Amino acid sequence: MKFYFALWYAKILSWVINRVSKDRGTNLPGEKALKIDPGFVRNFKNIDYDKVIFITGTNGKSTTTNLVAHILTENGKKIISNIEGANLLGGIATILAKESTFTGKLKADYFVFETDERYLPLIYAQLPAKNMLITNLQKDQVQRNGDPDFIYRKLASFINSEMILYLNNEEPRSKSFEWMDERSVYYGVEKHQESFIKGSDYPTLACPKCHHDIQFDYYNTDNVGPFLCKTCGYASMKNPDYEITDINFKDKTFKLKDVVFNMPYDLPFMFYNYAGALAICEELCDISPTAAAQSFKNFKNIGGRFEVLKYKEKTIKYTRIKQENPDTLQSAINVIAFDPKEKMVAFGLNVVEDFTPHYANTFYAFDCDFKPLVDSKVESYLCFSEHASYDTANRLIYEGVKKESITIMDSDDVTKIFEEIDKVKSDNIYIITKLATFEKMQKFIEEGKKQ
Amino acid sequence: MTNSLKIGWLFPNTLNLHGERGNILAIKAEGIRRGCGVEVHKITLDTQDFNPMDYDFLFCAPGEMVHFPEIIRFLTPCKEELLAYIENRPMLVTGTSIGLFGAEIIRSEEYTIAGLGILKIKCSENKAVYGDDLLFTCHYNDKEMSIIGSQIQMMNLDIFEEPPFGHLNYGYGNTGKTKKEGVIKGKGIFTNTLGPILVCNPWLTEEIVNLIEANKNISLCQIKRDNTLEEKSLITKVDFIKNKETALTNTTLSE
Repeated sequence: MKFYFALWYAKILSWVINRVSKDRGTNLPGEKALKIDPGFVRNFKNIDYDKVIFITGTNGKSTTTNLVAHILTENGKKIISNIEGANLLGGIATILAKESTFTGKLKADYFVFETDERYLPLIYAQLPAKNMLITNLQKDQVQRNGDPDFIYRKLASFINSEMILYLNNEEPRSKSFEWMDERSVYYGVEKHQESFIKGSDYPTLACPKCHHDIQFDYYNTDNVGPFLCKTCGYASMKNPDYEITDINFKDKTFKLKDVVFNMPYDLPFMFYNYAGALAICEELCDISPTAAAQSFKNFKNIGGRFEVLKYKEKTIKYTRIKQENPDTLQSAINVIAFDPKEKMVAFGLNVVEDFTPHYANTFYAFDCDFKPLVDSKVESYLCFSEHASYDTANRLIYEGVKKESITIMDSDDVTKIFEEIDKVKSDNIYIITKLATFEKMQKFIEEGKKQ
Repeated sequence: MTNSLKIGWLFPNTLNLHGERGNILAIKAEGIRRGCGVEVHKITLDTQDFNPMDYDFLFCAPGEMVHFPEIIRFLTPCKEELLAYIENRPMLVTGTSIGLFGAEIIRSEEYTIAGLGILKIKCSENKAVYGDDLLFTCHYNDKEMSIIGSQIQMMNLDIFEEPPFGHLNYGYGNTGKTKKEGVIKGKGIFTNTLGPILVCNPWLTEEIVNLIEANKNISLCQIKRDNTLEEKSLITKVDFIKNKETALTNTTLSE
């Protein structure tokens, strides 16, 4: 009976929140339901756990979930998914409550859930999915996660021999879960024109099996690429089950199993999301690459990390990074470095404000190789933000940038940022900062147009 | 003949969490500024015949504890040399790797890893991670200085009778309950300050290199270093710390 009260309460709450705003209420109804019935999620009916997939990992889980949901929907499958991104137990409880009948019955071909890696053991305890895709396990949100092994242990605590895992072939930590499951499906990306190597003084990582050094042939995105541990032989496979090949940046196409795909986003970190999504679609949902290819033509990523603004005669290209996450910063740096045109680059690395206490951490910038950026045509650098601008400038100086080429501004005042943009000759402006500052910049431009 | 500084970077791929490569860049840059040649040697689990006494400075970054038993196995044969090394020569050990040099590390799964026993300290892994700014004063090479940095604390550090490296102005430090930060033994610094501590605090880098020069009978560099950028960074971060919300009660940063 407790379950029914919880379910009805969640449904009513969802309905009320939905009247106020369609974008809200992705978590709260489920959280409240879980207070009434702590085992709420396990009490839904008609869930075939063989048809449930969790998509987890440090980077790429939202995009991969969105893409899988899009391909399945376009191919006529009924799915239940948390594509709005509420990826904790409360979010999953909310979507299940919303999609179920008043007696808790669900009807779907597949259940596709983005899941927060830290809270996955709690989710799995109520929803024992038989399938899971792990995008990658990297340094991220160190203030709450500490180190990648902290998350590795969380996942290892419930992965079992009845599960099918979809594993990133070229990310050593994720691939190593192959030792624990029933069957592994591997996905990867062939070398492409934006694959890169880092200077020899950049650390790699320890082999998850024998603790000795992992060596990468090259990177497709930061810390992801063909690898080998010379001591124990642990290595990426030469031919993963699903591999993105023939990446053509000019034509914006790639191939998988000889099928040509349109590439909706040509950013290197997206290629692994494409490969993972296609692996799930064929292996779990029986949608062939040929059928999936049609869906790529109209795929729009929700909450993407790359935006373009027009300001006067200039183009401002904004790349959102996840703070404390060197891999997203490295990807952003690489995208800028590959642009052969002259440019201004503005860095607004900030104080980390995820939860109390906020703290002034920019140390992840030292894990990133700025040399390709410094070697590309940069007219000038701007380092802004109230408490982290000096450290950001110092990072550039350690990479060989002359102090005179850097403007340091210890504020986030967008008017001043635009004044600096006005000063440069280049019409090609890149900016890396937190979303809130970017949104203020967007507003500044829109208000300027109205005047 | 150019003076040469030899840096030993301990297990850079195995122990690598928070941009610690910056410390190598900082010590290298300071050596070069003084006109010295700087060699950086990576010590890995595959290095043969590692002898600490071959180096002028040793750096050991924090890492995932899952790798610690293998590292301790590697370092155990050099325990006496490491003890002799830190009597006079500088070594910097940061974050979780302090545990390697202590008596034992109690992991959250309730098993224990025996450390090298160079420090009479006990480390206990915490179930939750705590991340915050860290600000303290310390003495190194007879100079008093402020150190600013970040701390991602995954373990508590009971240092018993060992002297702390620093006195906290703000931060969690060893346990979140005292004003003790890290440990110092001889010239070995064991600190919770993560990331590029030597980049953010060039005054510490200068003292480490001063000590190396003294150890090698090189005349001390007289050209003053420009630390303006780092001083401004310290000021703005202290200002940030003074005004932020915190639940810590072991330290209060007054005006």
